[in-house]
Amino acid sequence: MNDTYIPNKNTSKKWYLIDASDQTLGRLSTKIASILQGKNNIDYTPFLNTQSYIIIINAQSITVTGQKKYKKLYKRHSGQPGGLKIETFEQLNQRMPNKIIEKAVKGMLPKGPLGRKLFTQLKVYANNNHPHEAQQPEDITLK
Amino acid sequence: MIRVKRGNVARKRRKNILKLAKGFRGSHSSLFRTAKQQVLKSLRYSYVGRKNKKRDYRRLWIVRINAALIPFGLTYSQFICGLKKSHIGLNRKMLGQIAVVDNNAFEQLINITK
Repeated sequence: MNDTYIPNKNTSKKWYLIDASDQTLGRLSTKIASILQGKNNIDYTPFLNTQSYIIIINAQSITVTGQKKYKKLYKRHSGQPGGLKIETFEQLNQRMPNKIIEKAVKGMLPKGPLGRKLFTQLKVYANNNHPHEAQQPEDITLK
Repeated sequence: MIRVKRGNVARKRRKNILKLAKGFRGSHSSLFRTAKQQVLKSLRYSYVGRKNKKRDYRRLWIVRINAALIPFGLTYSQFICGLKKSHIGLNRKMLGQIAVVDNNAFEQLINITK
């Protein structure tokens, strides 16, 4: 009773649904990362997976403030000389809208095997429909 | 000079080190000279670890208290301020435990601090 409480491994999964339309990118991503890690549970343990799955819909309509829509750059390098590819927020949103939220949340999750596993529990969809109706996700938008 | 045998002095010294090296991988648990290096390293790590352990657990308790306060609309900083003002001296370990194990008591704590 004197020792700090360490829970048993959790085997039940919890699914959450978040609508990303007209949400600010960074502010939404911190909340997502927090839920994925399980920091809203009282038996949070840093090395255990709380099995929280998050579905994001309407990822295309995510917003950023100021001039970032035209000036925020996403860079990647192919490894070959001269292979630096640069895109603006707007261009990436048109090409692969899921990448924007995924990149933001990935940078906020812990780096390591557990962090990578948590990242797979985030499902991002550009439009309004998702194939996870059978999991009966709980809607927690306005976050 | 008188003939002096070294006897088992060296063996006893090395046996102590090898005892500390139990469970190490490969020759680090069986050969003395490699084992000694790893044992020294392990002792250094355990010294640092004992100091880190105190920090790590306090971090864990604080995250858990924050999580337990969400349904009451409080934040950790407001809660601690309320506790200090009401002269409750419970430390974070106990607060964290109470939050997990005994929900009722935690709620009463919050009502006192409000």
